Amino acid sequence: MNVHSKSGTFQGGYVAGQLVKWIFLLATALVTLFPIVMAILGSFKTNAELTAGATILPSVWQFSNYVTAWKQANFARFTWNSLFVSVAVTVGTLLVASMAAYAMDRTRFPGKKLYAALQAGTMFISIGAVVLRPQFDLMVKLGLNKSLWGVIIILISAHATTYFMLIGFFKAIPRDLDEAAYIDGCNFYTVYWRIVLPLLRPALGVTALFTFRGAWNEYILPLVFTMTNPKLQTLTVGLANLRYGVGAAAETQLMMAGACLSFLPILVVYIVANKSFMQVTAGAVKG
Amino acid sequence: MRKRISLFNSYVFIFPSLFLTLALGIYPIVWALRYMFYEYPGYGQEKFVGLANFSRLLRDTEFWHSVANTFVYAAGKIIIVLPISLLLAVILNRGLRGKGLLRAVYFMPTIISTSVMSIVFFTIFNSYNGLLNQFLLKYGLTSKAIDWLGPDYAMLTVIITAVWGAIGNYMLLFIAGLQGIPEDVYESASIDGANAVQKFWHITIPMLGPVLQMIVMLAIITALKGYESIMVMTEGGPVGKTTVMYLYVYKLFFPVSVTSSTVQEIGYGSAVGFVTALIVGVITIFYFYMSRRLNQD
Repeated sequence: MNVHSKSGTFQGGYVAGQLVKWIFLLATALVTLFPIVMAILGSFKTNAELTAGATILPSVWQFSNYVTAWKQANFARFTWNSLFVSVAVTVGTLLVASMAAYAMDRTRFPGKKLYAALQAGTMFISIGAVVLRPQFDLMVKLGLNKSLWGVIIILISAHATTYFMLIGFFKAIPRDLDEAAYIDGCNFYTVYWRIVLPLLRPALGVTALFTFRGAWNEYILPLVFTMTNPKLQTLTVGLANLRYGVGAAAETQLMMAGACLSFLPILVVYIVANKSFMQVTAGAVKG
Repeated sequence: MRKRISLFNSYVFIFPSLFLTLALGIYPIVWALRYMFYEYPGYGQEKFVGLANFSRLLRDTEFWHSVANTFVYAAGKIIIVLPISLLLAVILNRGLRGKGLLRAVYFMPTIISTSVMSIVFFTIFNSYNGLLNQFLLKYGLTSKAIDWLGPDYAMLTVIITAVWGAIGNYMLLFIAGLQGIPEDVYESASIDGANAVQKFWHITIPMLGPVLQMIVMLAIITALKGYESIMVMTEGGPVGKTTVMYLYVYKLFFPVSVTSSTVQEIGYGSAVGFVTALIVGVITIFYFYMSRRLNQD
């Protein structure tokens, strides 16, 4: 802080500077929080109050919106579907990525460089929505489009980011431990399961958080897979479809309640673990 | 013997990853490269048509509009996001009361699903019963409802939504970059009497150089690729005003909503997808070399 200055005008400039800075910070914070707060408060309003607008707090708190969303608008099912997809994708991604990272870090084999290049390549090549179609067709051929397993497998296949993060963490696990374990009678598999995975736990925790959030928030893939099967819709898809439901264009309060159901759990986790979120996301996916 | 076992083990452990990547990452690309040359509505027999899809693409004004829209969208988003997030990062990188809390707040949007927040923004910007219009009308800030999702403002609205979702992430990337600048450079500048603005232009920006270039590149790529939020908010409408390239590709493969039905055009869609990826790739490479040359001068 440069408060070295003795001249009064400079002090004035400093105060003005601080003021501008704080106005900027607080205005940005306000704009950032506004839609989230609006959604939360809106979820407790009646539809009439919501569409008449311009009240901040609900005049009467309608907790029944959540009951209606949960039961009538099927959010119980959507939540279960989202949870199922997210847990399965997280477990699968961590397993597949940690196995690959283990083999890559600890062994040498023909084709190793090719695999490394392939993983790096998948991070850069993207032809967007085109790939959805062949992925979908493959799942139809395997009969996996009738459940959410198709979505899960496709999401697990996109594990390159997790793989690269884990490879970084592997460098911190000393190979001496492996050697000692081999002498004690462990083999390749038990070293992975009993030595490497437990030591990797902090890294796995952080990447799990990240993968879970990604799967929970995924929209386009579950949308494509559930177009003909509404029972399989996840929260993100079910919520977006509320815009077209019977008379639902008018039921903004249910959309808000549904939005809160989908983001409040993850927001609570974020508030508890916000450092980990920030660490992992620095340099990652969303823009 | 031991070596052979370990070789086998390596392949066992690599296999799931390799298999999934090949089947669901590489195969779809090969698939698209093949179908670019076919006419195929998604059922029945496909028909080889050579380069017909590409000549059609050259005459497809809807596609070129989507290219123009993408540029407007990406430019608008980047021009707003980067200065704000850089400024936030610079302020929050120094010792500041409450910086942890503020960082957490700015970062919050990136936690929440893009599609879900787009629904919330949809209700806020909705033309007739949207919260924003109701608010503006009630306090007399406008005499009649503004059609935020109509032809005049829809692009602005989707850009605002995108900016809202992106600032926190870029702020964090900038903070990570700023932490690479040694503190004593600032201290010696302070002793020489430099003020905050001078320090920003003469130390922060030049020393952030390479990181800044990477972040700008990332910003360009993600902005060119984004379509999820637009799909939820406007479905590319009204009258195609917010259809971006990747959304246009999506529309050729799948119906956009449960209410609309579109004709699937697999072959043509593959060609459009290929050209779209090519456009993004060329822009990225062009930017990469331009920024490298600027560095050398």
